[in-house]
Formats: sequence, C-alpha cells, structure tokens
Amino acid sequence: MAAADSPSAALRRRDLCSRGIRLAGKMRSDVVDLLDSYVEQQGLDASASVAAVEGVPVAATEHWHEQTRTQRLLENLAAYRAFRALLAQMLEEQQEQLGEADAALGRALAAVLLQVSAFAYHLEELLQLESHGPPSEEVAGPPLPPHLGLFERKLRGLGVLRELAQWAVRSARDLRQLSRASLGSSSAPSPAESP
Amino acid sequence: SSTDSHIQYERVGADVTMKCGSMDWDAAVTWMANGTDIDKSHLNGSYLILKNVDLSQSGQYSCYEGSSWHLKYQTSLRVGMPPKEPVLMCRSNNYPKGFYCSWHLPTPTYIPNSFDISVIHGTREMVCEKDVFPKNRCHIRYLQLFSTVKYKVTLTVTNALGKNSTTLTFDEFAIVKPDPPESVVAKPVPNNPRRLEVSWQNPSSWPDPESFPLKFFLRYRPLILDQWQHVELSDGTSHTITDAYAGKEYIIQVAAKDNDIGTWSDWSVAVHATPWTEEPKHLTTEAQVTETTSASTSSFMPPPTTKICDKGAVVGSGTVAVCWTAGLVLAAYGVLFI
Repeated sequence: MAAADSPSAALRRRDLCSRGIRLAGKMRSDVVDLLDSYVEQQGLDASASVAAVEGVPVAATEHWHEQTRTQRLLENLAAYRAFRALLAQMLEEQQEQLGEADAALGRALAAVLLQVSAFAYHLEELLQLESHGPPSEEVAGPPLPPHLGLFERKLRGLGVLRELAQWAVRSARDLRQLSRASLGSSSAPSPAESP
Repeated sequence: SSTDSHIQYERVGADVTMKCGSMDWDAAVTWMANGTDIDKSHLNGSYLILKNVDLSQSGQYSCYEGSSWHLKYQTSLRVGMPPKEPVLMCRSNNYPKGFYCSWHLPTPTYIPNSFDISVIHGTREMVCEKDVFPKNRCHIRYLQLFSTVKYKVTLTVTNALGKNSTTLTFDEFAIVKPDPPESVVAKPVPNNPRRLEVSWQNPSSWPDPESFPLKFFLRYRPLILDQWQHVELSDGTSHTITDAYAGKEYIIQVAAKDNDIGTWSDWSVAVHATPWTEEPKHLTTEAQVTETTSASTSSFMPPPTTKICDKGAVVGSGTVAVCWTAGLVLAAYGVLFI
C-alpha cells in the first residue's frame, strides 16, 4: 500500500483520472449520438422500457457514496469488459446487415467499442496503482445469451447502449472521487450521507 | 354538489334549492344571506331557489320560522369549481441528494383543494415528503443513482366538486437543473480600460460541487447594445472579460449546469460594472488646457481653443442654437452667394 500512496503513484493516478474523465465524457457524448441513430435505424421507440437483460451491467447503485476506491475501479472494470464483449457481438450482428445506413451504424459502433476498450485499459492501469492488479478476464461476467431473435437482439442492443451511457456518467463521477482522494484535499471517498 | 353538515359546495352556474330544514313547503319562513333578508321573489314556498349561482353568492344562509323567528336551518354556501388539470413540475437542484416536485392549479377553484402525489420508480413506490412551505411542494431522496429506469409522478387534486390529475415521467438526469450562481461580482481592473473581472459562487443548494462539478455560462453586454457576448467556462468561478468597450457600463449574468447531465440554470441576478477609466486631469492653467485625456468619457467636452461663442451670444436653443458672430458670418456668405 505504501507504493500505492507514493507521490509518483498519486501523480500517475491523478493523470490517469483526468484523462479517464475526459474519455468518459467523449464516450458518453458518442454513445448518446449512437443511441439516437440506433433507435432510428432499428425502428424502435426511443421511450420504450427495456427490462434488465442478462449480462448487461447495470449502472444503477444504491451505495455509490460508500464505495471504496478499489470497489469503484473493480465495478467499472467488470462493466467495461462486459460492454466490450457486448458491443463486439452487436458489431458482428450489424455487419451482417446490408445498406449504407447500416454501415454507418457499424462504424459508430466500432468507434464506441474502441473507446470502451481504451477505458477498460485505463481502469486496469488505475488498478495496478492500487497494488491489487486487475482481475483476469475470466471473471468479467456471464457469457452472452445466444440465439436471440431479431427483435430481441434490437432490444438488447438498446439496453446495452442505454446502460453504457449511464456508466459513462458514473465512471466520470467515480474517477473524480478517486482524483479527490489522490489530492488529499479530503479524506478517501467518504461514506458521506446516503443519496 | 355535496353537503357537509355546515358547508354546502355548489358549482358556478348551478341552480341551488335550499330547504328550510324539516319545515313544510307551505310554511312561512324568512331566509337571510349573511344577515340580510332575501327577497321573497327567490322563494318557492319555503324553499330558497338560487339560479345560476356565482361566486358572490357564497356566504351564510339561514332560515327562520315565520312567526317565532326560530332558526330552522343554516348552511355555509361555497360556490366554486371542480379542479382543472394541475400543472406539475419536478426538478433536481441538489443532485445527487434528490429532487422536488411542485404544482399549482391553472385557475382557482375558490373552494378548498387537497393534493395527493405518488412517485414510482420501476416497481418501487417512493415517499414524497411534503414541504411545510411552500405547501404545494414535496421532495424525494434518491435511493439509487445512475438508473435508466424512469420516475413516474402522478398528482391528483380533489375538491368537493370533482378531481383531476396529471402524470410526469422522466429519467434521473433529465430534471437536473441547478439554481443560478450566487454572489456574482464584477469589478473593473485598474489600469485596464477594456477589462472586467467577474467572480461568483456555486449555488448554495448544490451539495457537493467537488464530486459533481458545475460548469458556467457567462453573458455580458454594454447597456447601450442589445447583443450579448457569451463565454462557456468548464471550471473555476471567475473570468476576466478582456474585450469590453472602454468607459461603457456593462450588464453581466452567469448560469450554471452540472458538468455532465441536465440543463442550464436560470440566469443569475444581473450585475453592472464599468471598466476602469483614467481620471481626467484638473485644468488649472492655460498650459494644461492642451493636455488630452487617454480614455473616452461619457460626455463630449469641446477643447477651449475651439470655442466660438459666448454663452450670452446664443440665439435659439437645442440643435439650432446659433451665436450672433456665426450668424453674421453665415449671412455674409449668403449675400456673396446670391
């Protein structure tokens, strides 16, 4: 733990956090745009409620304020590894579609997938600084449900992108908490009052 | 309509028939409204008939037996209307603590109303705690953050003549709107005729600006112009305007927004400021008269060497004031021209 709190580690953490916050902001902006295109392209109702889908990480949490640094990083990493796999599957399914609009959607999906991968890497670096090291990929999450019908796949895609948009906001908040702790301007992410 | 033991509610425009308690139709009675006799033309036997009632007919109605003046019946008539669809608004100005909802009726009912609000998040019913003041507001604490599940808020308003309701559905991020920034101050910068230093504070209702930072939008314009200049600021609570017009008074406002979600606040209270100008030198000798000032001033003062008229030699007023000397010169030129 001494290494995790050394001045160089703190500086590195701050740097990773600030870059991560910017990446999360860009990612969210791109995901929101992608959501609009996806809804239109897939002929979905933007206001449709999508039940929680197995394997899609849910951003909602009741204990956000009480989380430790490590908990935040681990939850984020598990989520983005899952999103990486989900988006890769969506991209594969999308590439089977024909048409220019589908190709554009495919390119947007690929761009977001790249950002998700980059963010996951950022989180792994941050976890290295916590002296915990990132967990192996095998514990990233349950396997994706296979053989969904076309409509179910569309709804799942909607759920994936919605949750990813929420995660991007949550991740920026998480990284700010980590950055605050690194500055030492307040104590480690305080349990503060519950939401 | 509905009748309480002492209160009777009737709709505007309704026809109202009041019986004098258990008195027979043909009994001799006297009706009074707010202590004043009611003309017998409004009676059908012992019944009081009020047609097409209006708000002014609200009041205390009493019926007395003819000869004994015993009070036989008394009611408080309240004329009013059933509620129209209420106007409901929900907003989070203290994210991530919670949000509040407030409501009002688009038109008054003139009779008492009760409000009932329900808040549902997914399958969970949440408690909206009513504020003591204002009475038409309640607040909810967030139990979850970053949820994609929408909130559904239903407000029902009920009075003796009917009920109405409205429903709002929204997600957690959409209603986030901070209060405007506070303590906005704008000051001139010494020795800088084109700068104004502006500072402000986060709204005090925003609970955790370090974890949930705000960004700001500043707008400013000279009073003499209608067009605003805008600057968006992603951090910090101060900004220096560097392109102000020298000597002109400015109006400045600031708005705030969560860095990631929601909408912009209303504009802050406006502040006024004028950039620094050099003090005009005091003219005591003729040698100092030819010194020039370095900044523009709000009123034009012609240099003394260009004076062409004495005050007493001016004829006319305003834009057509002409002094005798100039008049003679102009007349001479006129004659020459002719």
